[in-house]
Amino acid sequence: MFRTCDITGFKVDLKAQTLIRVNAVFAVVSLLVAIACAILLVFTRWPQFHLLDAEWFYRVLTAHGLNALIFWIVFFEAAGLVFGSTVTLNARMAYPMGGWIATYLMIGGFLLTNIMVFQGFADVLFTSYVPLKAHPLYYLGIILFAVGALLMVAVFFGNLMVARKEKTYGESLPLFTYGLTAAAIIAVITLATGAIIYIPALLWSMGIIENLDPATYKVVWWGLGHSSQQINVCAMVAIWYLMSLLTVGGVSINEKVSRTGFALYVLFICIASAHHLLTDPVVSSPWKVWNTSYAMYAAVLASMIHAFAVPSSIEVAQRRKGLVNGMFQWLAKAPWGNPAFSSLVISVAGFGFIGGITGVIYGKEQINIIVHNTIAITGHFKGTVVIGTTLAFMGISYYLVPLIFRRKIVAFGLAKWQPWIFGIGIALVAVGMLSLGGYGVPRRHWDNSFSGGPFGHTFNPSIDLFWGIVGIGGVLAFLGALIWVLQMTITVFFGPKIKGPQDFQLALAAVPEAKKEHKGFEAPGTLTLTLFFMILLVVFFLLNMKWLAGAWEVQ
Amino acid sequence: MALLPPAADWYEKKIAKDEKMWIVLSVLVCLIMFAWMIIWHVYGKQNPSSVTYRTTPREFSQLCDAFNKKYQVGEDQGIPVVMPPAGGDVFLMAQMWRWSPVLILKKDQWYNFHISSLDLLHGFSLQPTNMNFMVYPNYDYVLKFKPNAAGEYKVICNEFCGVGHHTMIGKIVVIESESELGKYGYSAQYINTSAPPGNEPPAAPLTEEELAAKGAELYKSKACNACHSVDGSKLVGPTWQGVYGSTEKVMADGSETEVQVNDEYIRESILTPNAKLVKDYPASMQPQVISEDEIKAITAYIKSLK
Repeated sequence: MFRTCDITGFKVDLKAQTLIRVNAVFAVVSLLVAIACAILLVFTRWPQFHLLDAEWFYRVLTAHGLNALIFWIVFFEAAGLVFGSTVTLNARMAYPMGGWIATYLMIGGFLLTNIMVFQGFADVLFTSYVPLKAHPLYYLGIILFAVGALLMVAVFFGNLMVARKEKTYGESLPLFTYGLTAAAIIAVITLATGAIIYIPALLWSMGIIENLDPATYKVVWWGLGHSSQQINVCAMVAIWYLMSLLTVGGVSINEKVSRTGFALYVLFICIASAHHLLTDPVVSSPWKVWNTSYAMYAAVLASMIHAFAVPSSIEVAQRRKGLVNGMFQWLAKAPWGNPAFSSLVISVAGFGFIGGITGVIYGKEQINIIVHNTIAITGHFKGTVVIGTTLAFMGISYYLVPLIFRRKIVAFGLAKWQPWIFGIGIALVAVGMLSLGGYGVPRRHWDNSFSGGPFGHTFNPSIDLFWGIVGIGGVLAFLGALIWVLQMTITVFFGPKIKGPQDFQLALAAVPEAKKEHKGFEAPGTLTLTLFFMILLVVFFLLNMKWLAGAWEVQ
Repeated sequence: MALLPPAADWYEKKIAKDEKMWIVLSVLVCLIMFAWMIIWHVYGKQNPSSVTYRTTPREFSQLCDAFNKKYQVGEDQGIPVVMPPAGGDVFLMAQMWRWSPVLILKKDQWYNFHISSLDLLHGFSLQPTNMNFMVYPNYDYVLKFKPNAAGEYKVICNEFCGVGHHTMIGKIVVIESESELGKYGYSAQYINTSAPPGNEPPAAPLTEEELAAKGAELYKSKACNACHSVDGSKLVGPTWQGVYGSTEKVMADGSETEVQVNDEYIRESILTPNAKLVKDYPASMQPQVISEDEIKAITAYIKSLK
């Protein structure tokens, strides 16, 4: 059963549409749990408030990590995988039952895990490092979710095969679906790794296995923990290309280059799980250096490729529309009022300048000595997963939710501000945390005044200022996320129905025609911005090298 | 474009000049960053070690005990203060929620640290110099350190290890000469100058008082005092004062029952702490590395706390 979308002209399989809707709803629910936890955590770590007691702090921290890093993102990606393999290919759901089994497993896992955590049976944090032990049902919950997600990926591949066989699209996949395919391949590696480690953990928790080696657990676990964030990177970049197209009619200036970027992700990004083992015993330096560098930074190269390709797609489209004056008229005259466009720009900038630079530098074997398990690491992934992935997902929702749910976005005037409130809030949180980490403040720590310990330690007094920045940023980000959650929830259940194209609130940009053969630079503004990025990367690298060189000698 | 199949000539299309410049620059930066890690291993002064030994909590705690006995110069907050000779081995033991011992090191001297955990993963975070390494049970991480400035350093735990994680903080004092020790309230006098272990006369059975005294020592050296008070105050775990012989409500297999606190229950609680967990206390204690004699001593000590 298909409907033809009167706004985009795509054929939409109604079975796929229902699946997308259910997964999207659970994504929003997970995000709501995650941000409710987040605001409690902010007000606990902010020393002036110190809200929760130690036990609840770690409990809420466990729930925050799981809901934000796994449930919110994977539910959204499940919706995205169904969307990308049916709607954008004019294809049908090859095996709807599979999609439903996957969704039910994921929902079951989501509920079971959260119940165990909030009941206090799994105060083990997101990583649940062995021999820290949780209730068996906690591990079972995660396994159910992972198996469901894996099945959803299989359904995605099934859809692609059927679409190819039935020739619903041309010779090659559209770039968006190509990017999702890369994400799906990474997801298979990730989720299989998750199963490999959570199944023995479950048996160990049940007492069937007596010992589980803590080092083996940590190495394999990060094959899930880190690589799952690489699914996000891949899906996020795919969405960047999509948002550039929808908001300004941007098209990658060279698809071969963009696709090569995705291929490099598939080949190299997963080995960077080694980022989490750089200051660990057991593994050796050659292992650390090779893996942490994604085999000589091949996956960083992929991100650099997209860092140019995505902004340049915007720039070239804008220049074709006649915005050719100076270096940055194309950017100044961009559709800033479109929440998907502002999300795109903030997401790209935050991912690159905050998450990317810190990720590459902190992931160097030796520099990791001065940041490992400090809150600077948390600051790094606020840049990648929150400003980058989460904001990209929020931004694209302003297009996809009206199209898939056929409802008008409520309080649409707020949408213009939402990406800024959320983006600036998280940027403050990230920068505050990066600074705190520089002073050695630990992550995952209830009280950095060490009350009750045999000794005290006073950090540099300027940490009060940075905690203040984290606090204010946290409140802003919470409000930004809450606006989005409420907007989406009310829209989905109570928003006015869309009756035709006139009810669609955002513009669908047309792809501007190339006027004539182009001489010289295609995107000088983008080149300038990326060179500026490179200079900052080098400066940050040198600074960290200086800080490292000031530490005790160690070998 | 992102939503439709690419143009027919997409594979043949030449890469634009600026995009090509950017990619070449990126490749160069990538290669330099990769080479830097190798170069720093040769010329840099801070490199994580690749040396790890397998160990067990029991073996490692014995090594620590022997090390502490040999070089102990005092006690600080119930934790032994140890001054190892420069250039020698140093044993640092992590357990919930204690770093032991407190170390006195000399500036600009190399020390061969052995760091391991008796229970969970812990994080060795040396402040304020801000150096961070992971600590595992069953693995002895060997790191050679050379302190570069005198002063008082703290070792904070930065890997989550249960509800008392934030109380896990240890101390390292770096001195240029022994005359500075007074400032920290320490002395350079070794405490145990008696005969080396192994030559002790065969032990006569200890009296109840002697056992309790030994238990009192273990209470500190095994870091029981991180969670259990002996004065009735409530810490993470129940106090030991007056607990012997009392009847406590406990949770066993999810249901509430009552137990009489006797030798048997204390032994069980040390070896399998969560089998019968005192009601309203977190299940955060790990099974302890301990001998039967030590259990007897601790039991005697608990008995003595009326």
